[in-house]
Amino acid sequence: MKTQTYVLNMGPQHPSTHGVFRIILELDGEVVVKATSVPGYLHRGIEKLAEARTYTQVIPYTDRMDYLASMLMNWGYVAAVEKLMGVEVPERAEYIRVIVGELSRIASHLVAVGTYSVDIGGFTGFLYCFRDRERVLDLLEMVSGSRMTFSYFRIGGVADDLPPEFFPPLQKFLKDLPSLCDEYDGLITGNEIFQARTKYVGIITPEMGINYSLSGPVLRGSGIPYDLRKVRPYGVYDRFDFEVPVGKNGDCFDRFVCRIKEIRQSARIIQQAVEGLPEGPIMAKIPKVIKPPAGEAYAEIESSKGILGCYVVSDGSPKPYRVHFRRPSFINLGYLDELLVGWKIADVIAILGSLDIVLGEVDC
Amino acid sequence: MFGQGLLKGLAITWKELFTRKVTVQYPEEKVPLPERYHGRFELDVDKCIACGLCANACPNKVIQITKEKVGKKQYLTKYVMRIEYCLFCGLCVESCNKDALKFSHVINMNQFFRDKVRLVLVDRPAPEALPEEEPAEAAAERPAGARAKTAKAEVAAGKAPGEEG
Repeated sequence: MKTQTYVLNMGPQHPSTHGVFRIILELDGEVVVKATSVPGYLHRGIEKLAEARTYTQVIPYTDRMDYLASMLMNWGYVAAVEKLMGVEVPERAEYIRVIVGELSRIASHLVAVGTYSVDIGGFTGFLYCFRDRERVLDLLEMVSGSRMTFSYFRIGGVADDLPPEFFPPLQKFLKDLPSLCDEYDGLITGNEIFQARTKYVGIITPEMGINYSLSGPVLRGSGIPYDLRKVRPYGVYDRFDFEVPVGKNGDCFDRFVCRIKEIRQSARIIQQAVEGLPEGPIMAKIPKVIKPPAGEAYAEIESSKGILGCYVVSDGSPKPYRVHFRRPSFINLGYLDELLVGWKIADVIAILGSLDIVLGEVDC
Repeated sequence: MFGQGLLKGLAITWKELFTRKVTVQYPEEKVPLPERYHGRFELDVDKCIACGLCANACPNKVIQITKEKVGKKQYLTKYVMRIEYCLFCGLCVESCNKDALKFSHVINMNQFFRDKVRLVLVDRPAPEALPEEEPAEAAAERPAGARAKTAKAEVAAGKAPGEEG
């Protein structure tokens, strides 16, 4: 009997692609023979738009890349411009950046954990994660006035100081967070059905992870403790005591567990940052019209999805000549085509979800 | 034992039955907004000197200012925000040196028609001459006139919310 493969389009509108993303799957029965990912449906040309904006005006656009961790996207961009200008950021601003950045990371990982639970088929876990993400968003709303697109960072500091009413709910949240993480572990991680779906599925070997330049929890799930906050500390991260959680097998389960462990570590960092928060200015001395000297700069930070790099070229005018973002979701996605081959169609969802992509960032 | 994880998960959901609700009945009950919330804009016309810094700070060219020269001073005649393009980033509010442009806590900006979305904060004709800065008796009269001006501007600004369904 002769059999033949067939082509199935997953997306561009599919709930588990977390946005508009298309994978053309060539299937042999249930098994993937070939996968071709087609990103670009959410492309807005942020890099090009930036060329027509002043340096400060680009900040709101960076929010729209990884809209689940906007603070970190702001950080990547302002870090590059600060490097270009040679600005020294005041210490208090650095600490505030760490606090809001790690809160943003927690919010992003909560979405990753929650939506992964939905992808696998457990809706309950999703609600618990979003319940607690709400508390993070409330905190960040107090600081910046917005819930998702914060635009809180400025070149040389942050827009506003932390309000006094921010600290009591933050302390309460940090106190609750370990028990909340235990809840996710009890609900999702410990669930046998979940484990059966994710353990030893979509294994990324450490070698392949490095070869494909993966970063973030996707790489650390494979057992490589590469976290920029640790290996090449930027800002004031060298002053905090935290661990870099790693996985063992590099499967979907390890990548997922890494994120929950990172939430716990982020809470530790925030606690230390709040305790060590120095007094002082929150903005460096920056001219009203920002005109960096002609030249280029590349800065990297560890975003929730991996290494976010920003490359800025200046020609001495008030507008950037060129801005480029190294978006971790996009680069992590590069391995997907190869990773999917040989897995069943149900595993496609599990593997894609475990990479934790945000389409705003993939397409930029 | 297989199934222990499932039981543990069930125990967690059961426990949740006896805890306080985290949601509110939205239209009747509202969560208070934080002080810095980025809601609809409001403009204090008396403070505004029509310098145009806010319009320049905007990344999306949302703010359109029309001004006329009355005597020696710039007089703001029209302040329109194309709010449909607004990112609510707050760069305009931050750029305002006179503290005239501010965020309010109004969040309901929905309209049925696109042309109603546009936010007109000031729309007024330029006067023939500005009231002179006079001390004593004239100064007592001036605030009243200024207040009337503000009220007029507020009517212009408040037009949109009145029409929302």
